[in-house]
Amino acid sequence: MLKAIKPKMSTVVALLFIPVVWYVFSVFVPLVTALFYSFFEWKGGPNKTFSGLANYSRLINDATFWQSVWHNLLIVLVCIIGQVGIAFILVLMVQSRLAKCKGIHRTFGFFPSTISAVYIGLIWTMIFDYKRGILNWFLEVTGHADAMKVWLNEPSLVLGCVSVPLVWQYIGYYMVILFAAIAAVDKEIFEVAELDGANAFQRAVYIVLPLIKNMIMVCLTLCISGNMKVFDHIYTMTAGGPGTSSMVMALYGYKVSFEQSNMGYGSAISVGIFIISLVVIQGSRALVNFLTKDKGVE
Amino acid sequence: MKKKVLSVLLASTMVAGILAGCGSSSSTEAPAADASTEAAAADTEAAEEASTEAAAEEDTEAADSAELAYTGEINLMHYSTSEESEGNGGSDGFRTMIANWEEAHPDITLNQNVLANDEYKTQIATMAAAGDLPDVFLLQGMNTKSWAAQGLILDMTDIIKDSPYYADYNQDYFTPFKDGDKLYGLPVLTGGTCTVVIYDKAAWKDAGFDSFPDNWDDVKKADEYFKANGYDGTIAFGNGGQWQANSDFLSTLGDRYTGKEWFQHIIDGDGEASFTDDSFVSALQFMQDIFQSGIFNSDFNSVTNEDAREYFIAGDYPAFIGGNWDESYIAATLQADDEEAYNNLGFAVLPQPADATEDANSQNIGLGYAMAINSKVADDPDKLAACIDFCEYVTGPEFASYVAENYALGGLTKVADVDLSGFDEVTQAFYNYSYVDTTPCEIYDSYVDPAVWSVCNTGLQELMNGTGTAKDLAADIQAAYEENYLKK
Repeated sequence: MLKAIKPKMSTVVALLFIPVVWYVFSVFVPLVTALFYSFFEWKGGPNKTFSGLANYSRLINDATFWQSVWHNLLIVLVCIIGQVGIAFILVLMVQSRLAKCKGIHRTFGFFPSTISAVYIGLIWTMIFDYKRGILNWFLEVTGHADAMKVWLNEPSLVLGCVSVPLVWQYIGYYMVILFAAIAAVDKEIFEVAELDGANAFQRAVYIVLPLIKNMIMVCLTLCISGNMKVFDHIYTMTAGGPGTSSMVMALYGYKVSFEQSNMGYGSAISVGIFIISLVVIQGSRALVNFLTKDKGVE
Repeated sequence: MKKKVLSVLLASTMVAGILAGCGSSSSTEAPAADASTEAAAADTEAAEEASTEAAAEEDTEAADSAELAYTGEINLMHYSTSEESEGNGGSDGFRTMIANWEEAHPDITLNQNVLANDEYKTQIATMAAAGDLPDVFLLQGMNTKSWAAQGLILDMTDIIKDSPYYADYNQDYFTPFKDGDKLYGLPVLTGGTCTVVIYDKAAWKDAGFDSFPDNWDDVKKADEYFKANGYDGTIAFGNGGQWQANSDFLSTLGDRYTGKEWFQHIIDGDGEASFTDDSFVSALQFMQDIFQSGIFNSDFNSVTNEDAREYFIAGDYPAFIGGNWDESYIAATLQADDEEAYNNLGFAVLPQPADATEDANSQNIGLGYAMAINSKVADDPDKLAACIDFCEYVTGPEFASYVAENYALGGLTKVADVDLSGFDEVTQAFYNYSYVDTTPCEIYDSYVDPAVWSVCNTGLQELMNGTGTAKDLAADIQAAYEENYLKK
């Protein structure tokens, strides 16, 4: 009976082969071809000239690229604190016994993550708008007209301004992950801690945090990798401007490849992004592991 | 149980979210492709409507050379979307000609891929990079030399010389599409100015000016008056897309400082002119000074020209600087909403800076795009003949008459005696501004190389904010010019 529905080994292999091919085609092939093209002087079209490591030596000396890397790192920092940090606090608040309508909080918290980044960018462009934006309007009616600014045209502020929608959009996303993590912890531990007189802050830092450490690591990795390749929000809001004040790596790679039709150098930038992202992600994991090596409960 | 269902739901949403997140970086082309299919679908519909009308009304006979041997498909890519064609004479005329041509050649299927201009530029560059251009498409002047060098576009020199309309072509319009003596396209759409000061005549009269000032000192004087009388500022300008400051300002301003020969040397790449020349640096310096002087809206670097022209339409600013596409929008909007404001529209050239020595009456005008043919089409002579026929028709006398009669605009082919008497004063005034009363100069980004203008536009935004110096920016532009243009 069982034998009748058991597929042949070759069928199983063939079926498993489909996702493998798909994965190889969509992930490895572009990576390898980008690596290949990065060794060429290629302005698009059929003609390419091999240029060895010329693109990479240019990359190392390209001030705009390193400025973009720095911007990405700043955005990552802001988003780790903003996205994961605020999500953690909100989860604890919603989990507490005092909170009502928990389901609604979860649903609406997650809602912004489902909206297209381009819409979010446009919505926040309107909020920051100088003449018609709600932010300047609010400052004006509360009597702070002197603080009104062309927010997206202030080189020193623009990076912060474009980070706000990023944080806002993804808080709910990390909330869902952290909810799941906390739900998996035995409730009695919290009750015992409460009986022992631990206050909310102590419970959060000494009990919850160590217990969901692995999930926090997952969140950090997702947050870093997501923000190392951030593109759409910034493209919609400032296109990297004013000048290069809000330029990030992916946007710079895009501009070089498509606006300047410099595919060879654009590929070298992509490879650069890949390597830097790997280093940052691995580095952050090592750092977190080192910092939390022998603290809290396991 | 309920919890389980909820958690499964949430988990699956999350997974979908992650997938979507991962996908977004690698598949940037997908949405564009969707849009194009939609646009193409909408387009076919609109084209059908238009062609029925056209057939009912008149002559498809001029889509003449009827006996084309080719039967099959031709892939056409352009950016005259139905939205853009509303009020825009060039787009409307182009779409009408396409519909006429389709009607006259029922055996040929024209596959149209229509995208908005920004997406069009990205997509066509990507297709060129992949060596996979459509059969017929719109070539932007600045891509001519590099795509010709790559052998992507067909050398049309002899085709153009053999064209039945050759004698009527306005030869100046071919310049951006030349590489040496070879021609690579038939300039298409309408010749429109890229820099025009549009102003409210009544408001300036109240400020004591019968017409828009011809020097910036008077503009600054007027600025004091306007700010004291309830206006937000004097001139509305939008450079949020970074290209506007180049196309709608610097290109004309540069001409005032450097003269026309200088830019011709830049195009020729003969080493006689450099972006670090004092005259060009002075133009950049003036650009910085004037945008720092406070006569423009303070958010000029973060709003687009579409936003800025709304400031003008709303009456917050008594003047606006933009291109012919802004003029057609402003005129159409005011005509519909505010007849009085429409009748008060005036047009002027950019005022002359005090230290500029060249032609004070210049404005940059031209045809930015040309109909070009994929070099691979030459393998099939019948198909090539059909493509040539199409390109000649959409840029020929019928198109020129259509836009002249309906919009008072001109194209590649000259039409004798445009009768302007049927148009109102504003349309006549703009026609005269564009084609009669001013001296034409070149549109910078119709030439050279996109990489040069990308560097220029990015730096220009910083310069206008008051950061960076004109000298440094000039050096950056020159470096990009040497690397991307002279080296070729």
